[in-house]
Amino acid sequence: MQPWATLVGVITLLLAAPDVLAVKSHDFKTCSQAGFCRRGRALSARAAEAGGKWKSPYSIDSSSISISPNNAVFTASVKSSIYPEIHFGLELRVHEDGVVRVRMDEINGLRKRYDEAASWALIAEPKISQDISWTTGKKDIRAKYGNNEVVVAFEPLTVSLLRGGKPQVVLNGRGLLHMEHLRSKKIEETKTEEAAPQAEEGVEDQAVADQAVLKTEEVNPAAWFEGDTEDDWWEERFSSWTDSKPKGPESLSIDISFPSHGTIYGIPQHATKLALPTTAGDSPFFTDPYRLYNADVFEYLASSPMSLYGSIPILHAHSTDSTVGIFHAVGSETWIDVSHASEKSTETHWISESGILDLFLMPGPTPADVFAQYSTLTGTPVLPPHWSLGYHQCRWNYVSSDDVRTVQRRFDEEDMPVDVFWLDIEYADEHKYFMWDDKNFPDPVEMTNDVAANARKMVVIVDPHLKRTSNYPAYQEASDRKLLVMPASGEGEFEGWCWSGSSSWIDFFNPNAWDWWKSLFKTTQLKSGWSWTLSTTDIHIWNDMNEPSVFNGPEISMPRDNVHHGGWEHRDIHNINGMLFSNLTSRAVQERTDPPQRPFVLTRSFFAGSQRFGAMWTGDNLGTWEHMAVGISMVLSNGIAGMSFAGSDVGGFFGNPEPDMLVRWYQVGIFNPFFRAHAHIDTKRREPFLLEQPYKGIIKDILRLRYTMLPIWYTAFRETSVTGVPVLRPHYVMFPKDPKGFALDDQYFIGNSGLLVKPITSKGTIETTVYLPEDEVYYDYFSHHVYRGATKGKDITVKAELDQVPVFVRGGSIVPTRERPRRSSPLMKLDPFTLRVSLSKAGSARGDLYLDDGVTYSHEKGQFVWREFTAQTAKKTVRITTRDLGVEKKDAAVDGVALVSYNPSNVFAETIKEVRVEKIVVEGLSGKPSSVKAEGGEELIWEFAAGVAANGKGEGVASVLTIKDPRVLIVKEWAVIIQL
Amino acid sequence: MLLWFLALPLPALASVDKTLGVSPALLSKYSAPKSGSWKCLDGSKEIPWDFVNDDSCDCPDGSDEPGTSACPNSTFYCQNAGHIGATIPSSRVNDGLCEPECCDGSDERPGVCRNACKEIGEEYRKKRDAERKIQKTGAKIRSSYIAFAHKEKKRLEALVESSAAEIAVREKEVARLRVIAERTESLSAAALEHKQQSRERPLYTSLMSHASALKALQREHKKHLEREQQLGDILDTLRKGYNPNYQDMAVLEAVRGWEYLAGLPHIGVEEDAQKAADLSVSDEEAGIAETGDEKKDDEVAETDEEEWTAEDLKTGLDELLNTDYVSLLMAHDEHVKTPPPSTLFNLRGYLPDSLVPQYEEMRETLLSWLGVFGIAGTDVEKSSDSSKARTALSDAESALNKVISDKKNAEEDLGEIFDVQGFGAEGEWKKLDGQCLQLDSGDYIYEVCLFDEARQKPGPGKGGQTFSLGKFSSWNPSPDVKPGEPAYYEKQVYDRGTRCWNGPERSVILVLKCGTENAIHTVAELEKCEYQFTGTSPALCLPLDAKDSVREEL
Repeated sequence: MQPWATLVGVITLLLAAPDVLAVKSHDFKTCSQAGFCRRGRALSARAAEAGGKWKSPYSIDSSSISISPNNAVFTASVKSSIYPEIHFGLELRVHEDGVVRVRMDEINGLRKRYDEAASWALIAEPKISQDISWTTGKKDIRAKYGNNEVVVAFEPLTVSLLRGGKPQVVLNGRGLLHMEHLRSKKIEETKTEEAAPQAEEGVEDQAVADQAVLKTEEVNPAAWFEGDTEDDWWEERFSSWTDSKPKGPESLSIDISFPSHGTIYGIPQHATKLALPTTAGDSPFFTDPYRLYNADVFEYLASSPMSLYGSIPILHAHSTDSTVGIFHAVGSETWIDVSHASEKSTETHWISESGILDLFLMPGPTPADVFAQYSTLTGTPVLPPHWSLGYHQCRWNYVSSDDVRTVQRRFDEEDMPVDVFWLDIEYADEHKYFMWDDKNFPDPVEMTNDVAANARKMVVIVDPHLKRTSNYPAYQEASDRKLLVMPASGEGEFEGWCWSGSSSWIDFFNPNAWDWWKSLFKTTQLKSGWSWTLSTTDIHIWNDMNEPSVFNGPEISMPRDNVHHGGWEHRDIHNINGMLFSNLTSRAVQERTDPPQRPFVLTRSFFAGSQRFGAMWTGDNLGTWEHMAVGISMVLSNGIAGMSFAGSDVGGFFGNPEPDMLVRWYQVGIFNPFFRAHAHIDTKRREPFLLEQPYKGIIKDILRLRYTMLPIWYTAFRETSVTGVPVLRPHYVMFPKDPKGFALDDQYFIGNSGLLVKPITSKGTIETTVYLPEDEVYYDYFSHHVYRGATKGKDITVKAELDQVPVFVRGGSIVPTRERPRRSSPLMKLDPFTLRVSLSKAGSARGDLYLDDGVTYSHEKGQFVWREFTAQTAKKTVRITTRDLGVEKKDAAVDGVALVSYNPSNVFAETIKEVRVEKIVVEGLSGKPSSVKAEGGEELIWEFAAGVAANGKGEGVASVLTIKDPRVLIVKEWAVIIQL
Repeated sequence: MLLWFLALPLPALASVDKTLGVSPALLSKYSAPKSGSWKCLDGSKEIPWDFVNDDSCDCPDGSDEPGTSACPNSTFYCQNAGHIGATIPSSRVNDGLCEPECCDGSDERPGVCRNACKEIGEEYRKKRDAERKIQKTGAKIRSSYIAFAHKEKKRLEALVESSAAEIAVREKEVARLRVIAERTESLSAAALEHKQQSRERPLYTSLMSHASALKALQREHKKHLEREQQLGDILDTLRKGYNPNYQDMAVLEAVRGWEYLAGLPHIGVEEDAQKAADLSVSDEEAGIAETGDEKKDDEVAETDEEEWTAEDLKTGLDELLNTDYVSLLMAHDEHVKTPPPSTLFNLRGYLPDSLVPQYEEMRETLLSWLGVFGIAGTDVEKSSDSSKARTALSDAESALNKVISDKKNAEEDLGEIFDVQGFGAEGEWKKLDGQCLQLDSGDYIYEVCLFDEARQKPGPGKGGQTFSLGKFSSWNPSPDVKPGEPAYYEKQVYDRGTRCWNGPERSVILVLKCGTENAIHTVAELEKCEYQFTGTSPALCLPLDAKDSVREEL
């Protein structure tokens, strides 16, 4: 056994985890097995040991400061006292929205450092603020804007962002900034071993020992800072692999402190709590730093700082009075240590393998502001095709086109809604994606048409590894065009193993790959080359294995010294690699038709900016309660980092969940933005129609519940696509001033709908505690039971039997639903709405509803319907009415488009002009109405069940007024008057 | 408690006929009540007649909206004039899709679907006629199966009868021989007594222990051989099927180790070699062949001439174990002129009862075979009187047992022929007992021998081994299906096949429907190592009239 394997074994034993954990931890590096992380942590340890004596060697030469004509940008040269001959350049710019970008690079270094990470992540070059002026002092340069101030101290170099004079973010405050400059390998001198015996002799004599240290310092003036060994500088081994590291050491270390923030969120993806536990300092929760290195981790742990499939280097730091964010545009492997010097402060230490420092400081001060600032940088989540919010049925694998048809038939026989059937890798002949296994899928187009006949779609997998065989056009064309990733030699094609056996990978950093890749997805014959004529535009795409997963590679991925377009090493761009693949696939699917249609592309790997293109899921989870629970906090965490369209596989990818677990998992799934059931090839089939009663019936109801709520989801996605505020909103986002909610990650809100959900993720549960964060009424979604919160927050206990999922409507909400079950979501297009008016204590309520055709981009041309519904109580009258938000907020309706005009009778609105409100349910009225009328119309038909009033004191079932068919239309103005 | 407030008549709705979507059986319940108040069909609520089919759900049972989608879980009746009426779930009403089940389009808003009942009806009738034709032909074949079953029944009954007669005769014969044998043995009992006390005893005892040791060794040896074969199979599958996924060193080592042990080339190497072989015979392949030969030579060289070879063990051990030690001993005694001993020893005594008939059969065959070659004949003749008598007795006994067992089998078969859980109430499946159906998928040939075993064999020209996919275990096991119903015979379960190396034991669900041939049409591995075969059999083709009458009622 390898020594490290033994070590891992020992550690595992020490942790004494009682369960047999299936993850192959030894396949993946710990910090101590990664040279640069080890060096980074050693640096941090030296600093901690030195205490107050520690001083960063980096400083600004104040004479070099140059301020741009528009004042918002300044540059300066930075020196390091340990390498006086090396030059660094610092640039600071303040954006229009107050975001500060801090960039530092090596100037005229031996080689160029990779500086393009931001160009892949950013949606556009951010606009520079027009009203910033820098004041250069003796010790620092500073600029005040609004309540914010940014201060750059010269010696040692620190960058601080302050608000109201209070530091919010401090860079290099702990002196851990270190950019290992690019250097040439020295010819090894044969060191005499004399120093060692000397030191040994002086063990009992401290003076002599000090002398020895002093002596070393004389030899290597950088040793106090960098250490005195060339620790894995020039070559690095891991397991049976050797990383040739032709550029030598080039890592980047930076400490980022939040002196006024005690809670941090973000840096997904990790299987852990939403509020990140510590990895450093006193008794840290995890012993390793959080790692960002996209990896295909087989049977990952449900609680671990280990890397997973995607990486987004964004962090929120939060306190009761402010939220700030930082985004580090770095594409190389990055480790992040988290500690708290006090309860109210947070220190982080970022260690990256290569690249430049390119940090964005987002000043907040509210979570919504940080979302807006991050969206301005990297874009908002895309408004997905409406059907993709329905239920997705997947399995590895539906084995034939007849199998797909049978599964569809069974759903229809049981009258269970489903929108999408998925095909995993086995559809492809020898795992040559696009190429149907014609024995089992002899009629792929007919099969897709049979699915589409019920207004459904198919999603088919296309992975980035191409089987190296000349009879595979995708590979052959890529090879001919030299679009494949190269091995360390920089010549030829890298060859690795994946599902398809010996494979090569497309290099999407090569712009020549882009149009070619798009052309493959065309459903018509092309002159230029091969295209997927055996497909239809009802097929959308699943991109898996794009970390990239390479079965025989180091850490199941590509060797870091592989070479990409432009000569960059794989290490420089590893975390960005997966995003480019799915981005390009997304474009390819979009451009199959003219005019383009909204694509659906699911990706496993992602990076900052991936939200602009599609959905992600939390990868190969296990069918355990722990994974079900952590799936929720992972989805929340991905959401705050931009990836709102996220979900975890219902049922768990591995294992055979018991029926009760499956029921609970569906309850989790319907409250994930992306709702897909998936299963490993070794598992038993578990499609919902296969279950026995009562489970089958419960799941049918759960599926139908999701479909009734599709208007809520789609409306929430519209908002997110414009504001960047995530679809799933954890408590700190909704109630930033309530510290009791900061750590909550098992209950959350859906958009601004007012729905609060707490899915159950433990076996045998019959009741649960739900936290109500405010002095407002909350209504049980199903029973209309009224619960009352409190100003300081309150825990309530609610029933949660197997067929119950705790869902509440916040008092003051109007929730639009479509209650008619259908086979698939497009078939609901003309169905009427039900409005549920949940009165607040003050007797008011509001909600909005957004609709468009769900598939094209016509909404960008103003073809949509966006209504607000409000209820107001004045004296003894409750007035429920509606406004056209399309008219009122046309410039804020659609992402990236400021409409000049909006026509309420637009083409889409005309298609639903007869869609009505079939029922209005008002809960929490203070008494039985004397009359209920449509304004200017007749008395309506209604019934009233007496109960608790919102403005009263008691708890219990609310009073419920049900107005039957008020005959009012969604696209029209109307009002309903309730006379008490 | 709940009151409806109805101020004024409703404005006219795009009014829907109150009886739209009502099935003929319920039509009478949907007529305007004099009171103007209508009761939900479940009696739970009274609503104004105007609320019926007003596209707004009022009754908990959904009965007020037979013609709209307003109530979930209710149904809509399509008249489908020119075709057959059908009931569809309310979720399909007004969803914009024209489903063939509701070919008159009555479930959709006017103008959405055209009335397609003519074509659909025609197509349906065409299909039905074709099905009927098949069914008719199939039913004829089926009736021949039934005739076969009746013939088989007669044959078996006759067999039972004749067996009973034979048993009576043979029982008498056994009784007669037993008397002779016992008499002979009592004569030689004294001699045996003497023998057991004498110096010959160690030889006898030793022979006996050798015999039982050999027997045990043979049993263990066989067990090990089987185990080795199974392990080899598992490792072969691992070697061919493993994915260098996750660089699992343990798997790689196991594969390499097996390749070394079995003298196989490394799997990747072999592939490369095959590629190279397209041009010329590669060195590696030649090397492989040599290695194999050397190994064989080694094995031969190691074997002592005196020792039995593996082949000898395989073929000779049974023979050796069937040696009649008593006879040998007697012969030996005669040779050394000691009083002839006798013994009660009989190998049969060492065998569990269940194996006795088999043993007897084997012994008989062996002896006759030995006799043919003149090996055992002299020995038998030379054996003592008591042994001869005993042999005659046991021969007679085994003949008797065979007849008894034949009779028993015949009786069991008789019981199964017309058993609903056996070959069907009419015995229509008896004819197919053991009949093998095959499907060639290219890579594999799938075979099911009905009521016996399903197998996966390598396809023509492909290497590999045959796996059992399971033995017949039952008809449709679904609790929703009762034995004897047609649906009961539409599924057969074959289970406990060869275990997958990392999965369950292989199994097959055979789904059958009426067809003129006994055939498998599709094979799908829906879950790992769990197969679904679909096919046809005339045994499922019920005579037309019975089914027809059911059809017309729809």
